[in-house]
Amino acid sequence: MKTRFTILLFVAALGCVFAQAPTGPYVPGVTYQTDNPNYLVPNPLYFEGKITWELLKIDQPATFWEYLQRGIHYQDDLENTGLAIPDYEKALAGNSLANGTCQLITAATLVGGALPATLNPPACMFTIRLRLGYLLRNTNPQRAIQLFSEVLQIDPLRLDANALIGEAYLGMASAATTDADKQAALKNAVAAFKAELALSPVTPDYTALTGDTANNAHVHWSLAEVYQQLGDTANVKNELNLYVQATQWHSDTYPWRIKLAQKRLAQ
Amino acid sequence: MLRFRFIIFLGAAATLLAPSFAQTPTGNPTETASFRKQDYQAPTNCLPCHQRQYDELRSSVKSGYRNVSPLFNGLETAGNLLSGGLLRPVYADSTATTAGPTPGSTITLNTNMFTSPVLAVAPQVRAGFCFTCHNPNRERQGDDPLQREVPQLAPNTGNNFKPEIFRPLRDYHLVDANGNQVLAAEIGGDPPAGALPSPATAGITCDLCHNVTGPDLNRSFRADGFANTSILIDHSIEKIGPFPDAVNVKGEFHVSSTDRSKISFLRSGAFCNACHDVRLPINTVTSGEKNVHDNTNVNFFRLENLSTEWQIGPYNSTNNPFGKVVRCQDCHMSMFPFGGDSTYQVGDLKITSPTPGVFAQDFAAVPGISTQGNFPLQKRNVVNHYFTGVDVPLLTIDELRSRLGSNYPDVFDPGTDSHGVPKSLEARRTALLKAAVRIGLDKTDQTAHVGQPFNVRVEAVSLTGHRFPAGFSQERTTYIQLNVTDDNGFVLYQSGYVVDKPHPDTGEMQPDGNLNDEDIEHIHAVVNPGKHIVPYVSGPNNNGQNNSVFESGPDNGPDARVYTGAAEGLVLFRNELTRVFVPGDQLGRNGPDGKPVVLQSGIHFEETFSAAFANHVDNFRSLQPLRPTTFRYEIQLPTADELAAMGMELQGPLHVHAQVNYEHFPPVFLRFLVNTTGPNGPTGHSLHLLDENRIDTLLENLTNLTSSDLTVTLTN
Repeated sequence: MKTRFTILLFVAALGCVFAQAPTGPYVPGVTYQTDNPNYLVPNPLYFEGKITWELLKIDQPATFWEYLQRGIHYQDDLENTGLAIPDYEKALAGNSLANGTCQLITAATLVGGALPATLNPPACMFTIRLRLGYLLRNTNPQRAIQLFSEVLQIDPLRLDANALIGEAYLGMASAATTDADKQAALKNAVAAFKAELALSPVTPDYTALTGDTANNAHVHWSLAEVYQQLGDTANVKNELNLYVQATQWHSDTYPWRIKLAQKRLAQ
Repeated sequence: MLRFRFIIFLGAAATLLAPSFAQTPTGNPTETASFRKQDYQAPTNCLPCHQRQYDELRSSVKSGYRNVSPLFNGLETAGNLLSGGLLRPVYADSTATTAGPTPGSTITLNTNMFTSPVLAVAPQVRAGFCFTCHNPNRERQGDDPLQREVPQLAPNTGNNFKPEIFRPLRDYHLVDANGNQVLAAEIGGDPPAGALPSPATAGITCDLCHNVTGPDLNRSFRADGFANTSILIDHSIEKIGPFPDAVNVKGEFHVSSTDRSKISFLRSGAFCNACHDVRLPINTVTSGEKNVHDNTNVNFFRLENLSTEWQIGPYNSTNNPFGKVVRCQDCHMSMFPFGGDSTYQVGDLKITSPTPGVFAQDFAAVPGISTQGNFPLQKRNVVNHYFTGVDVPLLTIDELRSRLGSNYPDVFDPGTDSHGVPKSLEARRTALLKAAVRIGLDKTDQTAHVGQPFNVRVEAVSLTGHRFPAGFSQERTTYIQLNVTDDNGFVLYQSGYVVDKPHPDTGEMQPDGNLNDEDIEHIHAVVNPGKHIVPYVSGPNNNGQNNSVFESGPDNGPDARVYTGAAEGLVLFRNELTRVFVPGDQLGRNGPDGKPVVLQSGIHFEETFSAAFANHVDNFRSLQPLRPTTFRYEIQLPTADELAAMGMELQGPLHVHAQVNYEHFPPVFLRFLVNTTGPNGPTGHSLHLLDENRIDTLLENLTNLTSSDLTVTLTN
């Protein structure tokens, strides 16, 4: 009996060895995931972006990155921001400048001009901050602005982050209870939108390559709105002109705004 | 006895139930071939007995066109201009050396991606990287200097590279009437008078696939037979076909294999893995994948991930609408999509779509001439060799025939073949694409209010065996075009639109009335072509491929949706190549002060159109097969005040129209190749591959693969 049992164990074990099955309990991100081509191993940066949740084969998030991915699933697939926000908060807590669980990349971080193989703590991620900030932009614009500002610490040249800050200040202006607060928010919005434009300067080289004499139509549209609220009609006209120029070869997702801008300019 | 059976069962079950992806192969099988060796046979040698297969294969892009394609040649050239010629093959007589896999070691670089027993260092993978998959036999034959078509550049590579004398691959693919190589007088110029196609122009031929005996586990990074042309080829008279009971061949020109293992491999989806995953030996900064073999130091990223997508997808299982494994061959070598339709449910979408795995009945060889003793053949299910995919040539028929022979088939050939399949490559690929995807609008808000947000929800599902788009998925541009109008046709919202505009970077100074040469409006980019500098220095600072212009456009959906979670802008299923810049890197453009923009601190992610320049890839933007995904557009309708300012009123109901469009290459990518292979690029002269005229006349945006419409009530 003992011999037969031994043989049984031996044959079963042999089968396992041949198949090289994962051993031990499944630990998210540690065992099975090493063989999952959809689960990317940081090198040293974590994957910024979105991977279909079910492809990750995660039962329960165990790392800040896994919380980010589940939050994305809740937000995008289920349209459930109430579930997404706590997951983004957990992701942020595990990738935070404030508590030292992430770091900004500087020239001093590099080894031979390149990123080192590992980073401890890991690099701060912009996707967590962009997504959480976007969901909080109406209910907690100050927090949103702080998160978007961290995005610009992570990637100072990142497009659209300054515009998101501008939009958040616009929201703060709408909700302001004093004129001083409103004016301050509007002026901050102007600064943020201008910072966005500064990342894509319209230079002679640019115009020679593209034929465009203006760009960032949506930013100029928003700036016109801010100046309208500030009562600065000269700048309203200037921004509407730039908006129309920027749409000359690119139209707009809201093409009626071009007609509206032209009507306003004609008045 | 019963217990013994139980033991055996347990052992077998443990083996079978363990996930296949976790298997660690022990290496390649020992060579057992006992057939007479036979060197490479040109496809014309197979033609007398396999006329149908010959004709079909000749009209596919992988045999013929790809080798003279201005796009393929331009892309291979671009990689060489950036790296200093490192993508050109080396051969057995190379004396070049390179750093070995262990620190401080040096090896002779005399094997290329196909001839290296194990890919130990990145230069071996780079050597012939593009040429290997597109022409493995010709590359292997190159070890014999007398048969070599494409010369080796090493050791004049890296900073010793001379871009001004660099020739595109296709320059070497011409011979005279005696079979001797002839070159155009001008680099990249038209074929000399009387020039004929060289053997390499045949590309993927009969004698590649039908000599494959199995996966080469040693040469695939994960020891799984994926990517890097990791197949074992036995050049003998044993030809592996799909039938284990083939009739004896007349004159023993070849022997039809009866080896069931080899036949099974040929018939399996795994057969395609070696070339339809493409893994670049570049260290991506967001995914640490390495060659798993001992004593190697190659890191890689997945450029083409098609085979993996199929391998882990629903069609490589019975958990799909057809209840059986649907192989690559079932769609790309069958009657699909001309073999009838099926109707089935995917999530809440009812789908009617072509049925895979329907094969024509025909002879596998020409009756009466191909069998020993004229043994009679029988008709049976046969595959076709069209290998229909998503590409069409970017050459005119005259250009094709000047390089591939005067009888090269017309892409627009009218009529159908004997099985009822269109002869036209263009017609086949359009039908294939129309079978790939479906969309619906049923989850859209049923009512819209003036001045309020209104949610359109487009549900999209891919019906392909891999993700859609696949292959070179970072450029295959598939997107949703959405329009919301009032009852008078007044456009309230548009996404996925294009605008006719000038393209000064490629000499189009005014809009030309053509929308096929326009990019969608999520970003505006112009790629830096680099410049001719003596002496040459490899890398982007002189050779470009970073972006001279890169800015958000008004339809900026991809980044807004992926990174910010915003429900607005373009839904783009194109995957993305990205360059992650680190402090000290130049971005490729100048600031307002005229000085190069240099990243001072932090990291900067930016889309790149050069695979050789990328160090990050997002392969998750394409549509996952059989997984319906909903994309929301939160659309702001104009307020009553805004409408009044425009002097108009909205007329209900609203009309929502969504459709899926497809470009095999986006114009921005082609313009990158126009410029980097043009006179302002690193060679200092034109390589005559691409120009604005070619884009204007041959690039087509294939609109409306599928569509959906909805009417929505409007209230004030």
